[in-house]
Amino acid sequence: MKKSAATILREYGPFPNADRVNGVTFDGRHVWFASGDRLNALDPDSGEVVRSIEVASHAGTAFDGEFLYQIAEDVIHKIDPKTGQILSTIPAPGNGGDSGLAWAEGTLWVGQHRGRRIHQIDPETGKILRTIESNRVVTGVTWVDGQLWHGTWEGDDSDVRRIDPETGEVLERLEMPEGTGVSGLESDGADRFFCGGGGSGKLRAISRPQGK
Amino acid sequence: MDSLITAAALALASGDALGALKRVALRDDAPALALRGIAMAQLGDLVRAKALSKSAARAFGPREAVARARCVVAEAEIALVSRDLTWPVKALEAARKVLEAHGDRVNAAHAGNVAVRRLVLIGRLDEAEQALGRLDPTPLPPALRAAHELVASGIAVRRLKTEAARAAIDRARLAARQADIPALSAEVETAAHLLDAPAARVISRGDERPLLLGQVEALFSGGTLVVDACRHVVRDAGAVVPLASRPVLFALARTLAEAWPADVARGTLIARAFRGKHADESHRARLRVEIGRLRAALAGLAEVSATKRGFALSPGRAGDIAVLAPLMEGPHGAVLAFLADGEAWSSSALSIALGASPRTVQRALDSLAGEGKVQAIGRGRARRWMSPPLSFFPTILLLPGPLPSD
Repeated sequence: MKKSAATILREYGPFPNADRVNGVTFDGRHVWFASGDRLNALDPDSGEVVRSIEVASHAGTAFDGEFLYQIAEDVIHKIDPKTGQILSTIPAPGNGGDSGLAWAEGTLWVGQHRGRRIHQIDPETGKILRTIESNRVVTGVTWVDGQLWHGTWEGDDSDVRRIDPETGEVLERLEMPEGTGVSGLESDGADRFFCGGGGSGKLRAISRPQGK
Repeated sequence: MDSLITAAALALASGDALGALKRVALRDDAPALALRGIAMAQLGDLVRAKALSKSAARAFGPREAVARARCVVAEAEIALVSRDLTWPVKALEAARKVLEAHGDRVNAAHAGNVAVRRLVLIGRLDEAEQALGRLDPTPLPPALRAAHELVASGIAVRRLKTEAARAAIDRARLAARQADIPALSAEVETAAHLLDAPAARVISRGDERPLLLGQVEALFSGGTLVVDACRHVVRDAGAVVPLASRPVLFALARTLAEAWPADVARGTLIARAFRGKHADESHRARLRVEIGRLRAALAGLAEVSATKRGFALSPGRAGDIAVLAPLMEGPHGAVLAFLADGEAWSSSALSIALGASPRTVQRALDSLAGEGKVQAIGRGRARRWMSPPLSFFPTILLLPGPLPSD
């Protein structure tokens, strides 16, 4: 397992009317983050929130190329980012103990916080397809280039780690500075991760290590 | 933190305890236990709340020092509201330090607030005042700021600083409005109402009328010699002579002050001071002795001179004499009068002050407690008694957010 300190590229926020960051996703242009009662679209270049959708947003956020998925209480809403309409709702696999959401390969991946595992579910029905065990609380999940990454955060310790999607084995860890937690994780598809900062109300861009 | 915990915490922060409970009612993980504990506390089930907070503190992992510390603060606030003074103060201070060290200023300040409220509760006003002065309410969210200002006003009221109390109430009202918690606003209004309700009676030159707190303050600072039957002291603007432990002298002073500028017959003084026994020669001798003691005690404040039929009081530097009496002087009025000073009294201290047997005092306290006019804190030998109305601090709980990773 490779272990290194995370390199923080940029810090955004805290933002007005958004005390927390509960989940993060990226639609290719904007970073969407969940702040409790709305989803906010941030321009990562300017650092400005350019629009927001009023919807309950208590944990992870994901984007499938067209629609947003947002965990609220114990369900996952599918949301049209253009209109802000909730299109459909499925149960969340952790019954509300869910934290972290990612879209990949036609399915949703949901972190189960204290359950210390990640579920792959059917985005239409919410049916659990398979479950990967982790040994840390899961606070954010993302897929990039066939790699499964998730955030952890326990007390003062937090990291972003790559795990083997088959076995759950930890392959690589990026340790966050003490007191800097990860709540919500998304890659930009290239060399950056966006990390939610929980109650700090901040959003951070960290660099993704290149090469296998 | 997970989805339902976030949702429950948001509900709790907006004062919706039932909404929070609904979301985590069936969960037994550490953050859910903590939230359930807070919700139960806000709903008034303090026994259940205490047990839940305790198990939450145990359930958080060794890495989660901040979450544990928040649970400890919650436990302390529940203990405070339950009037359980056996709860360890050191644990609260340790938790406050952990929170401060981890940059959780809001919950650290809340822990400080709880500690001050405890000092007010047990009547250690000097320490409470000092501790309050060291706390900076600026980082506090509105609900906690309102609580902070209520404590400040409670101390000011007991210190008879009406202006300061009113200013603190105004700040509390503003903060409660910002917090948007109706129960909190109601508590502030109850506290505010006490400032505009009669606090005592004044008896002077045969006249008697109720006084507001501000008028009591004015009476004390004006040029009047006040025989204060609420605190059992004799005072003017410059000096205070405590007579709480000398009931005979106080009874004489009060009888003389009520009659002023007239004198009082020996028989009347003997009857009032020595509990209704008719005057014989031995009582007259004892009266002379007690008057001599009163004269010595009041030296500089007032003079006690002999008249043809008895004795008369005359003010020293003050121009006027008045008696300040509690609003109600029923059978247990004297006990209430002592407790009105805001201090926490042991029943043995009260029995000394009242010159009554411990059994009599205990009976009076039990009956007053039954009517909700006094409250007991602590147990066994440590038990203390106080009058509740002027101790302003919110009875609704403003526990911190004991959430895991944030």
